[in-house]
Amino acid sequence: MRRSLILASAVTALGLLTACGADGGGSDAGSSKTTLSVAALEGGYGRDMYTQVIQAYEAKHPDVDVQLQISKSIEDEITPNMKAGRFPDVVVLGQGRKAALTETLIKDKALEDLTPVLQAKVPGEDRTVGDKLIDGIVGNLNTNPYGDGKTYTMPMYYAPTGLFYNKGLFDKKGWKVPATWDELFALGETAKKDGISLFTYPTAGYLDSYFFALLADVGGEQFYTDVMTYKQNVWQTPQARQALDLTTKLLKYAAPTTVGYANEQDFTKNQQSILDNKTLFMPNGTWIVGEMKDAPRADGFAWGLTPLPAVTAGGKRYITTSVESVWVPSGAKNKDAAKEFVAYLYSDEAAKIFAKSNAVQPIQGIASSLTEENAAFYQVYEDASVTALVGGFASTAPVEGVDIKATLFDTANSIISGDKTEDQWQAALNDASEKLRQAGS
Amino acid sequence: MARPAERGRRGNGLFVLACLLPALVLFVVFMIVPTVNVFRMSFYTWSGFSPDMRFVGLENFTRLLDDEQFVRAFQNTVALLVVVTVVTMGMALFLAAIMTRQKLRGRSLYRFILYVPSVLSVVVIAAVFSALYDQENGLINGTLQALSLDGLRQIWLGDQQLVLWSVAIAMVWQSLGYYMVLYMSGMSSIPESLYEASALDGASAGRQFFAITLPLIWQNLRTTLTFFVMSAVNLSFVLVRAMTGGGPDGSSEVLLSYMYKQAYTNSSYGYGMAIGVVIFAFSFLVSLLVSRATRREPLQF
Repeated sequence: MRRSLILASAVTALGLLTACGADGGGSDAGSSKTTLSVAALEGGYGRDMYTQVIQAYEAKHPDVDVQLQISKSIEDEITPNMKAGRFPDVVVLGQGRKAALTETLIKDKALEDLTPVLQAKVPGEDRTVGDKLIDGIVGNLNTNPYGDGKTYTMPMYYAPTGLFYNKGLFDKKGWKVPATWDELFALGETAKKDGISLFTYPTAGYLDSYFFALLADVGGEQFYTDVMTYKQNVWQTPQARQALDLTTKLLKYAAPTTVGYANEQDFTKNQQSILDNKTLFMPNGTWIVGEMKDAPRADGFAWGLTPLPAVTAGGKRYITTSVESVWVPSGAKNKDAAKEFVAYLYSDEAAKIFAKSNAVQPIQGIASSLTEENAAFYQVYEDASVTALVGGFASTAPVEGVDIKATLFDTANSIISGDKTEDQWQAALNDASEKLRQAGS
Repeated sequence: MARPAERGRRGNGLFVLACLLPALVLFVVFMIVPTVNVFRMSFYTWSGFSPDMRFVGLENFTRLLDDEQFVRAFQNTVALLVVVTVVTMGMALFLAAIMTRQKLRGRSLYRFILYVPSVLSVVVIAAVFSALYDQENGLINGTLQALSLDGLRQIWLGDQQLVLWSVAIAMVWQSLGYYMVLYMSGMSSIPESLYEASALDGASAGRQFFAITLPLIWQNLRTTLTFFVMSAVNLSFVLVRAMTGGGPDGSSEVLLSYMYKQAYTNSSYGYGMAIGVVIFAFSFLVSLLVSRATRREPLQF
């Protein structure tokens, strides 16, 4: 009697232990079918397009079984397994996310070199993946993070980010979208008389697209790269000071509600102030249309997108282009199958499915398959004075306690509320940049 | 003659061990091992994924001393713990005393209302308070406006001096009812005769509270206090993450949220674990302090 009890509890304990330990790794030793595990972020484009693309792929490749894991917080779901050494084969996830999973893997040099995919022919087509991509979309810090000519993340969708506004309001008031900073501040004064604020942001983190473009506008592409690669004393240069000057001045025109709503819970209220004609501009991306599609809005409202105004009249303007990427972890089991699948994602067949959900791939000639509202956003690239700007801060080995993006963006909250001065901002940036520079070299 | 009894006892011991074994194994695997790991990892620089782990000794800890954001997170945590603990415990005791001693009408209704927040998920509480604190049409600012006290309207979650206290209020609201119910059950077991006797001697309700109620539930209070301090550390993290994300500009960051940011967002896993060690030591120290400071001869009735 007693012995059987002991046995029973021992069995229970063992059972509990093995239950935790055993979790299929996804490799089917018995069958000849390859199981390809794909993890994707469920972003503004929804999840249907992935299931459709995978269906189309499986129809052509009966020997491959694609298993899709998709979620709005995909990082939280795949990270524990990755820590235990079980990596998905293909991951569709961009940089600039809060969890910074892609950045972490880049810092760790834990991504597979995808340069061969660029040279590979798109399955079922004559052209290579590289030939189909639009110019300048690979070969930047975003896709080639180590600057060694090798592509580690493939650009999956691209979208312009910039200042969003209500076209309807501008038409009604007869205002012109400002082309220079002077015009912008003048408009700020005009709007103030109507009780409208000039500027807001959903959360300070949305200032990424704003700042990257501004830095390039102020100092040109070389200066932008210097900032992104932490060149020594780059934040003490007159160009950096000018960028901070302009921003500090702009933040004086920020809607009074901005900081109070600039958190995860309330950021849509800041976005709503554009729809309600309480504020003129906010930095954002094209996903805003889908995100706010059910929100109430002022009569005659229509989304407009403009690049930042030029620093000098007629000067070159940059538009930060958000690129979401697809990558293969070095730890993946089926790397060859993964690469073939990635190449397929650039096929006309797949592109058509993605475009239906407004997910625009950087493939030549894609604009013709877009909806009217979306196509209007992509027109900013047709302005001769506007250049696409891809990428962000270069990755270095992680530096404890230093997050230059937080220093650059979040401080805006303190500038608006008066808790920090522009000088403190500049000093903190210089300090963070210097620490990262030392970690990078 | 002693043998059979001894054998019986040994058999008992085996049985007890067997019963404890599953829990023991789980405790070791899921509590002891990870805790030891936290301590070990705090001596390394590691991003969390790569095989590239570098032993740096105490460097992570010396860095912490220079890290302004960490210092601020620490200050915020201490401030929250002190204020929230004092306010919650004080109010819970006060309310419990009123509810058990005074013959209030609708007592169980009050108890129910005050207890409800403890069953709500923290995310719901964060949403409730975000609505209350809304600077434009929130309940608090709306009420102030209705009372023509416009000058008192605040940007509750956007003001760096206020945001932490806004979080503190939500924390108090969440835990108050639970502790009140705990104290009520303690107080209701105090014999009525003590109060009757003291009332005959002319003791006021306040005097009765400090001379009878408080000493007699002291053991109860001690246990809950330690328990509360620990849960407040966790609660502050969840609320801060859901309500403010540590913002604006890090002004409502607490230890656990800063640890999370460093370990998972800034890829400084070792550094995050060093913060974890500090939290561990800090919690341990606080429990010790609380238990020392409140030690008294237990009174009985």
